[in-house]
Amino acid sequence: MDSAIRTGNAKSPAYYIWISSLIALMVLGGYAQIMSLLTSLEIMEFSLRIPWTMMVSNYVFLVVSSTGLCIVSSLGHVFGMKRYELLSKRCVFLALVTIIFGMSSIALHLGHPERALIYNIITPNLRSPIWWMGTLYSFYILFIAVEFWFLVRMGMAKKANSSTDLKQKIYSLMVARKTDETPESLKNDHKWARIAGVLALIFGLSAHNTLGAVFGHTEARVFWYGPYYPVYFLFSAAFCGYAWLISATIITYKVKGKEIAGKLKKLLFEMSKIFALLLCIGLLFTSYKLGFGLLNPAKAKSIMLLLNGPFSLPFWLFEIAIGSLLPIIILLYAAYKKKIGGLLTASIMVLIGVFVMRFDFLVVGEVYPMFSPMGKDALVLVPSFFPVLMEIFVIAGIFGALFLSYTLGVKFLPLEEELQ
Amino acid sequence: MVRRTTKTRRQFIKFFATTSIGLSLGSSDPAEASPRKYGKLHDTTKCIGCKRCVSACKRWNKLKIDRDEELTDRETDLTGKSWVVVNLTRDKRNREDLHYQHWTCQHCIKPACAGVCPVKAIKKLPEGPVVIDEKKCIGCRYCYQACPYKVPRFDFEKRVTRKCTMCHDRIPRVKPACVTACPVGALDFGVKQEILTKARKRTEEVGGYLLGEHEAGGTDFLTILTTTPEDLGLVVAPKKVVNRDLDKLRITSYGFSGASLLTGLMYMYSRTEEEETEETEEKE
Repeated sequence: MDSAIRTGNAKSPAYYIWISSLIALMVLGGYAQIMSLLTSLEIMEFSLRIPWTMMVSNYVFLVVSSTGLCIVSSLGHVFGMKRYELLSKRCVFLALVTIIFGMSSIALHLGHPERALIYNIITPNLRSPIWWMGTLYSFYILFIAVEFWFLVRMGMAKKANSSTDLKQKIYSLMVARKTDETPESLKNDHKWARIAGVLALIFGLSAHNTLGAVFGHTEARVFWYGPYYPVYFLFSAAFCGYAWLISATIITYKVKGKEIAGKLKKLLFEMSKIFALLLCIGLLFTSYKLGFGLLNPAKAKSIMLLLNGPFSLPFWLFEIAIGSLLPIIILLYAAYKKKIGGLLTASIMVLIGVFVMRFDFLVVGEVYPMFSPMGKDALVLVPSFFPVLMEIFVIAGIFGALFLSYTLGVKFLPLEEELQ
Repeated sequence: MVRRTTKTRRQFIKFFATTSIGLSLGSSDPAEASPRKYGKLHDTTKCIGCKRCVSACKRWNKLKIDRDEELTDRETDLTGKSWVVVNLTRDKRNREDLHYQHWTCQHCIKPACAGVCPVKAIKKLPEGPVVIDEKKCIGCRYCYQACPYKVPRFDFEKRVTRKCTMCHDRIPRVKPACVTACPVGALDFGVKQEILTKARKRTEEVGGYLLGEHEAGGTDFLTILTTTPEDLGLVVAPKKVVNRDLDKLRITSYGFSGASLLTGLMYMYSRTEEEETEETEEKE
């Protein structure tokens, strides 16, 4: 299977199956979206009382991942760690792709995304964390895109110079006709990539802080309220970034049938230790949240939904076991035994766990307080918290588009690590 | 000469600090500044639950009528098309004490929803009503999350959040539609100060509780309850302004401290590695 999907061998059937299934997912998402436009947005929501569900949780998941990837990439660029520079192109590309599809996720959730673009500029509300988040993330996308362009310009210039006809035209257009291959131009690219990298990190961390503040500021939602989420989101971003980068790198190498060796292998195992450490910090954060939450009578009811309520299965199984505990053990074991497969398994487990965790934290936060004039409990008013089918379709479409972009990126852009 | 420069600089810093803080916190408060401010009052002890206020609201605001609201004592909740609901509430301590409650936007004096709307689509008008500009609303539903009473509801067809406007397009010339429609005088509308005095007096008479006097920093819609909102199973709002700007700054500052800590850790990590690399290179 691995060798069959080789992207180098574009005519292999497995490659076409992969691309077609991604396109099928996108069609499914498109269908759900068109249906919501033709009928009503209601088909995307399981309750009017819980307006932020999977679309928002997916947005949080993707933008947190993007910031995490930016953090990991800046270790090489901004902080000058030469080893990390090896993976910077792939890392920044993933950061760009995840932020773009994260933003698409939230745009599809908004009632009028077109107005957001206009009124964010004309009538900004500086007191609103959503305004800050939107604005700072817009700048972040800009700087990440600029950083990526400078990182791959040389590679694309080489491709433009070595190809002919249409391919040459497209590549030279992508580098804005700067097909210079001299060492000076490379040095210049590095300089500008670093400047853009520093700005992307500053804007990324600030935007991420305001993302946490969107939840932290809402005094009327006791579960979210407080400084916990702005801080926790930053640390969870870091391990999400590691999970994305490790899994994407290993899968790409496996699919291409290339061996992970030398500097890259060493780096991956070093990353796995830091990754395990960050997961431990994340676990500490979670225990703090649960412990102190139970002591606060206003929050205790929401916390109990996670511990022993409708969210107990996703919490204990996905968030704690699959998302934290098991990956820590697997990572340490894999680092000790030098097994690349272990790193991949742990990273994918963390991504699944975090995806579920984002949904849990969002929906649990919205359950209490719930207005009921006759004093009915929230669990009676909203009997099921499972996402609706149409919403799942849209999310599937977004992931289809994300994976397709990455696959095409790996195929057409110079993202290869220079191991020599 | 030197003294003059220092003074000017200080003045400049003062000016800069006050204007920027003022701008960022939204210093102007039309609700407090206006001499003619209005309020609405509901007396649950007088309400007979006829729901004429609900129908009048729907007629004036051209909202779709649902079948549910015709079934008198079934619980109805606010939606994008039902800006007022009337429900039968029961006192938890005294199960026989039943009263109808007219539930709608409380029109907070310092509304949390207006403070979080990213595009300033929500405004507190000088007359008192809190109004959503439907042509500006982007449909993010953050106002719903921030509202202590969970009032602004999403209209799935119009794709915007909607709620009671206290009929801002007819007051003060004509009273709000619901108030005009009430056959027993359970609803009242007038100058806020007069309404507040009247409400306090009536609350004392019935020995009840005045909802909205202190909740969420005070609201321009007041309700006379027979007992506390806790006993009636209603959402209990804190007796202070919800989402104060200084509190928002406090929480954001924690986030920035976290970001600085993370950056510091990254810096330390990068330095350690470099030293180790240099050492290994030296050994080699």
